[in-house]
Amino acid sequence: MKALVVDDEPLARRELRRLLAAFPAVEVVGEAGDVDEARARIDALSPDVVFLDIQMPGGTGFDLLTQIDHVPRVVFTTAYDQYAVRAFDVNALDYLLKPIEPERLAAALRKVQAGAVVDADGRMEPLEQLFIRDGPRSWFVALREVSLFTAEGNYVRLAWGRERPLLGRSLAALERNLDPRRFFRASRGQILNLDFVEQVEPGSGGRLHVQLRGGQEVEMSRRQARLFRARTTLA
Amino acid sequence: MGLGSTHGLRRVAARRDWLSLAPVPLGIRVAGGTLLCALLSCLTAMTLSQAVYGQRVAPITQSFYRRLPPSGQLRNEVIFFVVVHAAWTAAYLAFAMQRRRHRAEVRQAQLGEALRSAELRLLVSQLNPHFLFNALNGLRSLIADDPDRARDAVTQLARTLRYTLASGEDLVSLERELEMVEDYLALESMRLAERLVVEREIEPAARTARVPAMLLQTLVENAIKHGIAELRPGGTLRIGARIEGGELVLRVDNPRPAGRTPAVAEGLGLRNATERLRLLFGTRAALHLDLSRPDRATARVRLPA
Repeated sequence: MKALVVDDEPLARRELRRLLAAFPAVEVVGEAGDVDEARARIDALSPDVVFLDIQMPGGTGFDLLTQIDHVPRVVFTTAYDQYAVRAFDVNALDYLLKPIEPERLAAALRKVQAGAVVDADGRMEPLEQLFIRDGPRSWFVALREVSLFTAEGNYVRLAWGRERPLLGRSLAALERNLDPRRFFRASRGQILNLDFVEQVEPGSGGRLHVQLRGGQEVEMSRRQARLFRARTTLA
Repeated sequence: MGLGSTHGLRRVAARRDWLSLAPVPLGIRVAGGTLLCALLSCLTAMTLSQAVYGQRVAPITQSFYRRLPPSGQLRNEVIFFVVVHAAWTAAYLAFAMQRRRHRAEVRQAQLGEALRSAELRLLVSQLNPHFLFNALNGLRSLIADDPDRARDAVTQLARTLRYTLASGEDLVSLERELEMVEDYLALESMRLAERLVVEREIEPAARTARVPAMLLQTLVENAIKHGIAELRPGGTLRIGARIEGGELVLRVDNPRPAGRTPAVAEGLGLRNATERLRLLFGTRAALHLDLSRPDRATARVRLPA
């Protein structure tokens, strides 16, 4: 398991490295002292898990996560921050209090490993998730569970189970990171998840009317409908 | 009549708060009051008896005093009334005192509870748990790498905590306060490393001035928490103290993230500090946070030297 340690205090990073040395399955591949450094390291190293401090100069751990497209598994760390801890508890996010207790670290690592698909090289399959903050609520949203993305100005509204969180990114930017085998652009303002397509009906003028699992209805533009038909006949 | 008069007595006792008096003054008042009530009741009874039966002692009662002459009967009547009233008053008194005592106990317990939680909250707010746990974490890291530094850090932490716990004393010498601030800065250096640079300009004459404990500490803490720690490259913290025109002038200056209005202006620490200055010095002391420059913050305190 490749781990990245993010904390603005050099001593805290050192201390966590020391603790992680007791776990042979974990390899600390890098460190970062602030949000920008962390973003660069995550891009370069693609860690399986990131130990993320909340309070850092120039941006919090939450800020980092909303800025990256491929969000790794995360274990938050904090010395004492009532607001952060409340956010963690309310949103069922994993966190560790500093100074970190070895047993709690072990439990957190077990949780990260549980349910993780490991490939032939022993590498963990990436989760393909986004981190979204909507007011006081936060989620790690697994992309494959989102049925529909709808553009709202410069942002994107997700249809995810019963939730409708708003993502602070444009549809175009998001599209670059979506697996084209699973996600299909239905029109200029919408991208749908092919796994959620239940019913397809012909619409006016060559358009298609798609019904998704969960109740969403999507109007596919003429051009996209043509592409869609081509794909589905091939498949 | 008996009930009426004792009721009146009770009202007077309540109005004048007799129950809070020492035993002797209370006893005198109660005895006097009881006697008065007794006599009033007695007189009323006799007047009624006289009107109804034509004699001052009712026939029913008279049957108790068969062998006594009329004067003896009257005397016994009076004594009877006094005794009954005294017994009635005594019983009421015992009840009232017990109720009073119970109420006081309950109130005491509640106060104790409130005081404890207020103290605790004050302690927590002064201790700054974030600082404390971060310091402990950094300290743990030093134990293996730099045991000597770790020992120093433990000493500094202990001193810091002790000072915080003892800051119930209102005024300390600036010298003492500076010692505390130095310990605190040493611990923060552990965390911030080269991101924290400290410049001090302390006039010798200012060192003996008396200041509210934890005042300078609060300003320094804010300067780091909301200023230097928030900047990636960190910055320089400037602490100044001088005597000017019979006043002690304290200055804490630090860089801060530009364009962000800090929550510190409304922070609990500053509010407490302002309040304490007001309580101790009234209008003769002042605390001012200068945020006119977007990238700097300067806190100034003036108080009588």
